[in-house]
Amino acid sequence: MTANANILSEDKVKENILLRPVSIEIKDVTVSFPTHKGEYVAVKDINLEIRKGEIISLIGHSGCGKSTLMSTISGMVKPTKGEVIVNDKKVTGAGPDRGIVFQNYSLLPWLTVYQNIYEAVDSCLKGISSDQKHAIVEKNLEMVNLIPHKDKLPKQLSGGMKQRVAIARAFAINPSVLLLDEPFGALDALTKGSMHVELLKLWNLDNRNKTIVMVTHDIEEAIFLSDRIVVLNNGPAATIKDIEIVDLPRPRNKKDIVNLPEYKIIREKLLSLLVDKFSIEDDGVKYEE
Amino acid sequence: MFIIWHIVSLTTDGELPGPIQTFSVFYELVSHPFYDYGPNDKGIGNQLLSSLERVTKGFIIGSLIAIPMGLLMGSTKLGMNLLNPMVQVLRPVSPLAWFPIGLVAFQSAHTSTVFVIIITSLWPTLINTAFGVSTIPQDHKNVSKAFGFSTFKYITKVLLPYTLPHIITGLRLSVGIAWMVIVAAEMLSGGVGIGFFVWDSWNALSLEKVFSAILIIGLVGFLLDISFKSLQNRYSYDS
Repeated sequence: MTANANILSEDKVKENILLRPVSIEIKDVTVSFPTHKGEYVAVKDINLEIRKGEIISLIGHSGCGKSTLMSTISGMVKPTKGEVIVNDKKVTGAGPDRGIVFQNYSLLPWLTVYQNIYEAVDSCLKGISSDQKHAIVEKNLEMVNLIPHKDKLPKQLSGGMKQRVAIARAFAINPSVLLLDEPFGALDALTKGSMHVELLKLWNLDNRNKTIVMVTHDIEEAIFLSDRIVVLNNGPAATIKDIEIVDLPRPRNKKDIVNLPEYKIIREKLLSLLVDKFSIEDDGVKYEE
Repeated sequence: MFIIWHIVSLTTDGELPGPIQTFSVFYELVSHPFYDYGPNDKGIGNQLLSSLERVTKGFIIGSLIAIPMGLLMGSTKLGMNLLNPMVQVLRPVSPLAWFPIGLVAFQSAHTSTVFVIIITSLWPTLINTAFGVSTIPQDHKNVSKAFGFSTFKYITKVLLPYTLPHIITGLRLSVGIAWMVIVAAEMLSGGVGIGFFVWDSWNALSLEKVFSAILIIGLVGFLLDISFKSLQNRYSYDS
């Protein structure tokens, strides 16, 4: 494929995205938790519309409530106020239309790689034969190159491999929405880089139909992967500070995009959005990460 | 150790048997373990087997009660609140205190001994099982929630695998205590059994036999413990 053809198809994809239906709608969502010191408001009055096939990053400082916000989409956390609508249905709990990749992989340690994926497939995909289920597991293991390791237990795997299992598990149930909670936070830089590519590969294989929401605090990661980056204020009562549109052509090449002027502009902008809190407090004694 | 034992034995003018006498009696006992000359004269093997049989019965019944109760207690707050006070009050009671209750209830010394072992085997298994269930990590629960596991799948793929090592730890403790208690229980019940053998040997003033029995009880207890330890190793996992 020539470079030109690439750009053309990119435009087409972008156009398609605009024509696509809304996948996730976060309406006036506030989440608060009761604590012994009174009510703690994690996120406040969040409104966000995510279209089908978009990759969205939620970025912000540790403890700003980005994971909480994502948990309202997965249904693991119930909003105190407002509602989340996924595929035209109000979220009331976890469901097989949303696949989750947890930060700490969350594989069941007594099950092999294969079984970990199979159990998820078995409980999420109803009405298909067990042969079909096994075929799905095989296919997804193959996509993340884990066939040689399929009978290993999680403890025998490296961090990157565990996260590939977790990603394969989330993809295997074929959800329309994929939720990634700081998925690569515990990985070293090199592994992280190859995981990014791997994730995009899986997304491409599925014709970029899956909506992906990812929580991260890594600016480069967010830019490389996302269509839009949602920057959250610091908690408590975090709100959306800004939404950055990442207008970089796909497929993206890590080495090339860092030299694009657009990349640099977005990076600078994100840095200033995330770092200006520091500079204000810098003249005081407090300097926190 | 044997030298000290020998010296101690000499200082008591042979009232306390030394290692040489003990081992000759021990050898005699184990070389004909299964003779049966009437109710008061049976081989050490017979005594041991009947004790092991009681422990096995009591231990199995006790565990079958303790494990489900422990699962119930650990998995719901209500179960914990209902059962925990009862468990905490009954647990410190010496299981032998239940022997008279068993006698009244079953009208049989043999069954009462098994009953005492049932009670003995309850607590460590119950408490460890409940502890295991109540400490299932949120991560594992999240997986089950996120991927919509049915209750059955949650129990078989999350709850039981996580709790199993804890249950086995409980069983290992239970069997160890049951083996200690059986000796005392059989001293009370009489008839046949390793505990009765100890008491009977004392009445016959054969401390050599008592020492031999102690040695045998210790060895069997040790074997029981390592077999449960190997079970424990087999079903343990690191996350």
